[in-house]
Amino acid sequence: MDSLVAKYSNSASTSFDTEDSLNNNSGGWDAASQFALPSFDIPLVANPVDFLRAHTDPSAENRIRIQHGTTTLAFKFQGGIVVAVDSRASGGSYIASQTVKKVIEINPYLLGTMAGGAADCQYWERELGRRCRLYELRNKERISVAAASKILSNMVYDYKGMGLSMGTMITGWDKTGPQLFYVDSDGSRLRGEKFSVGSGSTFAYGVLDTGYDYNLSVPDAIELGRRAIYHATHRDAYSGGSINIFHVKESGWSFEGNYDVGALHWEYQALPKGPIA
Amino acid sequence: MDTLFGITGKDFVITAYDSKAVASITLMKIGEDKSRELNSHSIMLFSGEPGDGVHFSEYIERNVKLYGIRNGIELSPKAVASFARRELADSLRSRKPYSVNLLIGGYDVKTNKPSLYWLDHLASSAEVPFAAHGYGAYYCLSLLDRYHREDITEEEGVKLLQKCIQELRSRMILNMPDFVAKVVNKDGIRIVQL
Amino acid sequence: MFSTYPGQAVIDHPVSAPIEHRFDPYVDNGGTLLSIAGNDFCVVAADTRQSEGYSINSRYVPKSVKLSDKTVISMGGCYADCLTLTKRIQQSMEWYHHAHGKVMSTAAVAQMLSIMLYQKRFFPFYSWCILGGLDEEGKGAVYTYDPVGSYERETCRCAGSASSLIQPFLDNQINFKNQESRQRTLTKDEVLRITKDSFTSATERDIYTGDYLEIFVITNTGVEVQKIDLKKD
Repeated sequence: MDSLVAKYSNSASTSFDTEDSLNNNSGGWDAASQFALPSFDIPLVANPVDFLRAHTDPSAENRIRIQHGTTTLAFKFQGGIVVAVDSRASGGSYIASQTVKKVIEINPYLLGTMAGGAADCQYWERELGRRCRLYELRNKERISVAAASKILSNMVYDYKGMGLSMGTMITGWDKTGPQLFYVDSDGSRLRGEKFSVGSGSTFAYGVLDTGYDYNLSVPDAIELGRRAIYHATHRDAYSGGSINIFHVKESGWSFEGNYDVGALHWEYQALPKGPIA
Repeated sequence: MDTLFGITGKDFVITAYDSKAVASITLMKIGEDKSRELNSHSIMLFSGEPGDGVHFSEYIERNVKLYGIRNGIELSPKAVASFARRELADSLRSRKPYSVNLLIGGYDVKTNKPSLYWLDHLASSAEVPFAAHGYGAYYCLSLLDRYHREDITEEEGVKLLQKCIQELRSRMILNMPDFVAKVVNKDGIRIVQL
Repeated sequence: MFSTYPGQAVIDHPVSAPIEHRFDPYVDNGGTLLSIAGNDFCVVAADTRQSEGYSINSRYVPKSVKLSDKTVISMGGCYADCLTLTKRIQQSMEWYHHAHGKVMSTAAVAQMLSIMLYQKRFFPFYSWCILGGLDEEGKGAVYTYDPVGSYERETCRCAGSASSLIQPFLDNQINFKNQESRQRTLTKDEVLRITKDSFTSATERDIYTGDYLEIFVITNTGVEVQKIDLKKD
């Protein structure tokens, strides 16, 4: 098993050489080994960073639109962690999708959220899932959320300044209880109680901070997450579609529902706003 | 932007950082640790580019600790500062430089002298009696010039730091939440309540 | 150095300045592609016009390729990148076949394509990909991609130059968005009718869409291809 682990566990920091580690299996072709290592093609220009920037810039003639825009949130409370996200992806002013899965199920007890570049989040959180599995095989125990989030942070930090865009929250339950980390492509990694990320985060924070209480019941906490995302989709044009909610418990995470914002709006409109406590 | 402080006294160094973590216009967290303990008697505070501070200081921390384990003797604060400065200077001439401002505070157990090093992101290094990084420096360096003596006691040091923080709270437009202060003296490193 | 005509200024030493070449390896060749998943079938359709600016390069350059009896890929954007990407997929699928003795499933091709696109994260393929096929249970599956490999399984998707014309129509007709009527699953004939209507209408309003419509219908009996005329102006 160890040799198998060693074969597929090279680090991301040596990722620019595509040759040496890919072509060394002389037997048959093996999909796992071809795609095991993150290795990237770089354009043969003086400054690859400027190249990418020139072609993803809004003014570029043939613009490569990378999907953006989001509201995501997660917070700790007495019953664990609630994770709530919207589902819109936009490329410029065009709504590319209203059904994006912005909560990435890394494994049955780790969740990641997606803000910024959709591909960046999907790819690196999948890579994180692979590394967490390797950790389990080697150590015969689950990885801590702190370690998992640090792996992700270190992986993307290697590419700092090269144009990756990722703002994610890594949540889960480990030996030390419920854990929540914010990790972004700048290299920041923060442990915290309550985060919101994305273009609509300021709107979500407004509702979330005001309604938050650590002693919230599980249904109330889920409702707070849903409500905060709803208000963000209402004010932020880049957020919308539907709301996905997850609850992280000791036994792992559970999916708590998908709510179309269109229908939710009229539900909330019919509800009295209630007194200001 | 982060603010860091360092003040030396008779037999101690007191360092302080604001514990804000910011992403764009949003305050993400209060209570973020912007320091790393390099060995039992030296501490590094960092500010600047998000991500770089943690990565650089942890890199220095681990190498300083490794030196202690390998040689059975800890690096002096002066040696730590020299090492950090050189690493930062080398990084500055690489493809992707670290962009960090540093304060290194330490207590030399051989000479029984406290010391404080001020390093900027271009790897300038200077040993100073007191120092500050960030916008807070514009308000507080004059204040430190006015009140600081070489022979202040730990109690006076804390009071001076409180004056600095009070000034920031009353003059700076940015909301300045709680600072975290850490003292280095002959007994090691500890947090002090402000 | 000599002057070649009277009055020309003579420069007696060569003037050298760094010449900057902008590296711009992308062009949009236009065209529209679409895929709709049904209960036990999948439709992948694309027009066959290839353009560059205001000129039409060809009236018949297929955008879709059959990868296996269960999977069809369709790509739009920069045709050169699409060609390269298609070849890479086909080669990897062939190697997979030799190594594992079985044909790659649609889900496996879908994940592989995501990684292939992301491997060019810093030098992207200028391509819009839609993968259509049947999943392991025989149900219709549509996977859609952005140029750097973020992907998602959906029931219907249109990409390319007329995507913003067709996609809202599909949202209404396939997913019954903003309709009071109950959702229902569509038959193959209904889906084909909607597909044809989408393209004939897009041809009326998009200069990059036209000439022919090539439709791949994937069912558990294999892949069937139809070619239909579109307006050629």
